[in-house]
Amino acid sequence: MVEFIKEVINIFTEYRGYFLQGIGYTMLIALSGTVIGLVIGLITGIIRTIPTSKNPIIRILLKIVNAVISIYVEVFRGTPMMVQSMVIFWGYAFMNNGATLPLIPAGIFIVSINTGAYMAEIVRGGIISIDKGQFEGAYSIGMNHWQTMLHVIIPQTMRNILPAISNEFVINIKDTSVLNVIGVTELYFFTAKISKMTWSIFETYVVACVIYFILTFTITRLLRFIEHKIDGPSSYSMNIDEDDVKEDR
Amino acid sequence: MSKIISVNGLKKSFGKNEVLKDINFSVNTGDVTCIIGASGSGKSTMLRCINLLEEPTGGEIVYNGQNILETKNIPAYRAKVEMVFQSFNLFDNMTVLKNCMIGLRKVLKVDKETAKKEAMFYLEKVGMLPFINAKPRQLSGGQKQRVAIARALAMKPDVILFDEPTSALDPQMVGEVLEVIKKLAAEGLTMIIVTHEMAFARDVSNHVVFMHNGVICEEGTPEEIFKNPQKQETKDFLSRFMNN
Repeated sequence: MVEFIKEVINIFTEYRGYFLQGIGYTMLIALSGTVIGLVIGLITGIIRTIPTSKNPIIRILLKIVNAVISIYVEVFRGTPMMVQSMVIFWGYAFMNNGATLPLIPAGIFIVSINTGAYMAEIVRGGIISIDKGQFEGAYSIGMNHWQTMLHVIIPQTMRNILPAISNEFVINIKDTSVLNVIGVTELYFFTAKISKMTWSIFETYVVACVIYFILTFTITRLLRFIEHKIDGPSSYSMNIDEDDVKEDR
Repeated sequence: MSKIISVNGLKKSFGKNEVLKDINFSVNTGDVTCIIGASGSGKSTMLRCINLLEEPTGGEIVYNGQNILETKNIPAYRAKVEMVFQSFNLFDNMTVLKNCMIGLRKVLKVDKETAKKEAMFYLEKVGMLPFINAKPRQLSGGQKQRVAIARALAMKPDVILFDEPTSALDPQMVGEVLEVIKKLAAEGLTMIIVTHEMAFARDVSNHVVFMHNGVICEEGTPEEIFKNPQKQETKDFLSRFMNN
């Protein structure tokens, strides 16, 4: 047991350069993928909840856009990201006479577009779960649909879907590992490489395991903390002035 | 006294269910109109039609001489004819102060300092100044409703529509909200109030409308309706209320 632990620590210290680089790329791809995916989700979610227009041209246009979004969501949710990576990466090479995409941007693109498909549903669900009264309250003071979405609905949606976003982020940290099929130098790619150099396969993958867990656990805690921060205290204290209240939350 | 809103031949159906059948009435500037009637008589639907939260299926609603069912700019109309809801509908993501400022800032495009000053003025009027930094979920129902009234007042509307403003409140909180509305009535604000509070309707209004099964059954001054109702339906409705 002591031997095993020594070997694990040994592998980490000896190859920490590789591991750290792997962590860096994994986090870069997972974070940008989640953020860009969220932006895709917000755009599609907002489009899909536009109220039906009286103008027939706009109505038909919206129907077409909605159909395109549905196809996108179904296709990217319905196929494995590993296969998507190969199709996108080699598909690009096929159409450009063998010229390949740069690896890190390709990785970010694949994770973003895949996450976007899930986020589209998460955001749509978040918007339609907001109480109808919030829309009516905004309309009743003269706000139009866009002002209502921007100032009232989307901020509340963001708070409500934060747990789902954090879930997607954690999934992305783990799932960037599939990008090693196209050779993206993320954490799994380096782990595989190190295991072939040391031939202590079990110990090397234990290191990777611990690293992945620390990454995901930290992110989960961090986002939970942000949730509490947004919510603030449940009771209101009147005996403190404006600035104190702000710092207090 | 000039007519500010008149409802002519208003009809509203949900599918085959005809909720409003030919509603006609009008409101003068400074009027406090109370709409009473049993649940399901169409009171709230009518009020929501006036605010265009429901689209009428027939008739017209004339505001300052213009049929607003033909207007292109619904938000501009709503900024003038505000609504206060049974379920408050305060914006949960904003503080009390922000709730009252957002309409001034985004709809009326008032600068930040002025918006804050005006929001504070109306919050003071409803007695909610100590709570300006609270979020809606930290408030009681009565407090929320008073903020909702301040939010509507801050837009300096011509008319405020109240849709059962005290129905979701505990009995001890009803009083604080009704007090605020009485104060506004005394200041001459034009209001249309759907309510189940008969004593309040009698005291505050100068025009009472009794609705029954989607039509206006009887209307008149509070004395006429409460002391000397003409129609049998009105008598039945009021006797049920007085016995409770």
